[in-house]
Amino acid sequence: MNTPTPYLRIQHLRKSFGSFIALDDISLEIKEGEFICFLGPSGCGKTTLLRAIAGLEQQEQGRIVQAGQDISTLPPQQRDFGIVFQSYALFPNLTVSENIAYGLANMRLPRRERRQRVEALLEQIHLPGIGDKFPGQLSGGQQQRVALARALATEPGLLLLDEPLSALDARVRLHLRNEICALQRKFGITTIMVTHDQDEALTMADRIVVMDHGRIAQVGTPEEVYRQPATEFVARFVGSMNLMPAEVLDHCSLMLGSREVKVPMTLPVCERGTLGFRPECAQLQSAPFGLSSDHNLVLQARLDHVHFMGAFVRLEMMLDEELPPIHMDLPVEQMSSLKPSVGESLWLSVPREALKFYPAESPGHGEVLPRSIEADLPQDMAAMQVTGA
Amino acid sequence: MPATLSLTSSPRALNTETWLQRLIVAGGLCFLLAALLMPLLTMLVKSLQNAAGEFAGLSNFIEYFSNPALTRSILNSLNIAFWTTVIVVSTAFVFAYALTRSGMVAKRGFRLLSMLPLFAPSLLPALSMIYLFGNQGILRDWLPVDSIYGPVGIVMGLSFWAFPHALMILITAFSNSDARLYEAARSMKTPSWRVFLTVTLPSVRYGLINTIFVIFTLTITDFGVAKVIGGQYNVLATDIYKQVVGQQNFQMGAVVSVILLLPALISFAVERRVQRQQSAQLSSRAVPMTPQKSPLRDALLALFCALVCGFLLLVIGMAVYASFITFWPYNMALSFNNYRFDMMDGGGWASYFNSLQMSAWTAFIGTAIVFLIAYMSEKIKPMPLARRLLQLLAMLPMAVPGIVLGLAYIFFFNHPQNPFNAIYGTMFILVLNTLVHFYTVCHLTAVTSLKQIDSEFEAVSASLKVPFYTTLRRVTLPLALPSVLDISVYLFVNAMTTVSAVVFLYSSETTLASVAVMHMDEAGDIAPAAAMAVLLMLTSLVAKGLHWLISHQILQRTQRWRQR
Repeated sequence: MNTPTPYLRIQHLRKSFGSFIALDDISLEIKEGEFICFLGPSGCGKTTLLRAIAGLEQQEQGRIVQAGQDISTLPPQQRDFGIVFQSYALFPNLTVSENIAYGLANMRLPRRERRQRVEALLEQIHLPGIGDKFPGQLSGGQQQRVALARALATEPGLLLLDEPLSALDARVRLHLRNEICALQRKFGITTIMVTHDQDEALTMADRIVVMDHGRIAQVGTPEEVYRQPATEFVARFVGSMNLMPAEVLDHCSLMLGSREVKVPMTLPVCERGTLGFRPECAQLQSAPFGLSSDHNLVLQARLDHVHFMGAFVRLEMMLDEELPPIHMDLPVEQMSSLKPSVGESLWLSVPREALKFYPAESPGHGEVLPRSIEADLPQDMAAMQVTGA
Repeated sequence: MPATLSLTSSPRALNTETWLQRLIVAGGLCFLLAALLMPLLTMLVKSLQNAAGEFAGLSNFIEYFSNPALTRSILNSLNIAFWTTVIVVSTAFVFAYALTRSGMVAKRGFRLLSMLPLFAPSLLPALSMIYLFGNQGILRDWLPVDSIYGPVGIVMGLSFWAFPHALMILITAFSNSDARLYEAARSMKTPSWRVFLTVTLPSVRYGLINTIFVIFTLTITDFGVAKVIGGQYNVLATDIYKQVVGQQNFQMGAVVSVILLLPALISFAVERRVQRQQSAQLSSRAVPMTPQKSPLRDALLALFCALVCGFLLLVIGMAVYASFITFWPYNMALSFNNYRFDMMDGGGWASYFNSLQMSAWTAFIGTAIVFLIAYMSEKIKPMPLARRLLQLLAMLPMAVPGIVLGLAYIFFFNHPQNPFNAIYGTMFILVLNTLVHFYTVCHLTAVTSLKQIDSEFEAVSASLKVPFYTTLRRVTLPLALPSVLDISVYLFVNAMTTVSAVVFLYSSETTLASVAVMHMDEAGDIAPAAAMAVLLMLTSLVAKGLHWLISHQILQRTQRWRQR
């Protein structure tokens, strides 16, 4: 999309429940037709943000502009959205058809057209012929698809999904992921989905908004969020990551536990921080020769456990007693060719591009400093600077 | 760019729907304020005034406490409430245990029989006691004390009447069991007495405390039983009646009412606290337990339940039998003479039809009001403070004894400057008073069933641009229909049988059957009083039967979606 003005613009939204701050100065822009995921642990404010967009929760400060109209103070009835909840919220005493047609009744459509619309929607959710059933007679996945059809029936400009897949079992969830994406693409409807499931967010979203304690931690495409986590929180929350507390010695060396390690990057000026890399980015080496320490972090560690995970093997390595074990994921074939044994000391290398360093927020001015940085820089820049990419 | 763009919420755009919601909430609030809080406050003010209506400070209270004949009633009331609570709660505890946790036979039968007292006016057991243990009673010699007219009679009558109330709460408490706790205890080889002390008792602890306070409140505030069989033994509730009706001393009536309100308010506050803690107790993953058979224990429990039900049947049977005796104890021939109410005090058959009319109105209007207010306080977003106040006020009637509410209504509605003065002495004030008197239980029933309905329905409707009243009509009301019917029959039965609240409020055109029972008893026509009481019970039972049939029919037709 090349439209210069975003479809949905959220500015400085703030909302608290008593002393708990649910939304802390949230600003966000969403383009027309985008699929956005709000991702975060429970209590991070993602659902509150969704409900504020729907008008079900009234913000204390800030503005919401949808399609050029300021909707900040409108009640939900006067906003333009369809919503699907985790609990389906289908009316149990109405049939599937009546549920889907519920919002069509007051659009003054002729009866025949209404029925056609319902049938077309049932077709699109691949459940033709269930119109006369009651929701109680359907499976969870079917009910959720009906809820989706009901939300789409009035052709709203914005689709809001509040953890729509969380109540379903794993296989149905995978199937519905594809179906929701397909429907979203077919309708071209701007969609916001709230989820705490990172796989869901990574596979479905055009862009992910990672939230933490009522603030936005990072906004980016799934790949950006996975490869360049902006903060230690994002690194921990999305995917698995080896994170080791480190003391900064100079611009290119660190103390990891009781070991001094040279890192192939320029470290920021600070005292301590966290060094991180993804388990699949590390490589096993038979010997430390031929590896440039300008391009690789080279470590020697003892192999403690080997976990068979199906498609790959996870090695648990001990670098130092004071540090958490390092995880490494190897393809099964590589494992069988190298045949490392438990207790053995092994060499591993991590390429420079895969290394992340997050400086610790010094407790003294931690409250003030990050804010001023954030105000000047887009967030996903911060990590890139540090990694020197 | 400024760090925070201050946009303090400009008044939210209002549409007709929000206005309508606000209007209904405000209407509900006005209703409870005018029909409950203001009468009570008027009564408080009255207790501080002298006969001429001038402010007299605490002088009425000083007068009250310096009169030992009056203050004795406080101790008497406490005494009655204490013993009744002990008897009823311990009996109901074993009974509930037998019904929920044993492999006893005929549970359904025992349960049905144990609910019978709910349909009888509280005067019925008192009248029955007279026939059983009175001066010419058939079991006179079994009575260990001199006379049934006094504390023993009151405690026995109240025990009969309060028993099902205790049983219902305790059955619920016992039903919330987690079978896995018992399995864990058994796997650790715990002896059964220790399982009882460490698993069973803690799991019903809150229910038990709750029961104790409910029964204590019910019995300390009861008027009917003490009125009929109390004799010279005065309690607070009968004192109010005597002060107001006997001596026309309204100020002293107000003082005693305030004093009676205190223990009820205290036990109400404690009960609410306990209730709040209980909700978090049972996890949603608990596995309900199925009772195991144990021949000896089950036989003993069945014997116990049979004895209790035997007592309940004896009391009811005695009243029924006595109502057909021509002239006790001289002419024991059976006849319908006692049912010729037009020959007696109290308004005759007209009062029975008045009662029917009043109960029907209460059930009809009351259910609508209760449900609408409960819906507004549960499901609607605007005016959070007003809705909080609404919920608080809805809980208050539980703590207000009927006789106190009745007196408060005299003070408030009989005041010449009250714009509602016109309703005084009409059927309407009886309906209003009865509805408010039994409001809390109805409100709780409605709220409980509304809470079970997905809270997102209103949000979904709003997103589909469907007004809230359409969703209320098409979805919420059909879903809550069973509890709506429950509320209506509860209101009907209680309106039929209540005495205490309406005893001050009827007029010569609106005499009521339950009050007629009392007046016939006062005039010495005990047998016709019993006959009327039996008729009231029969009517309530018929209403309940009809309710069962109707709800069965309606549910069959409208609740097709419940079947899978």
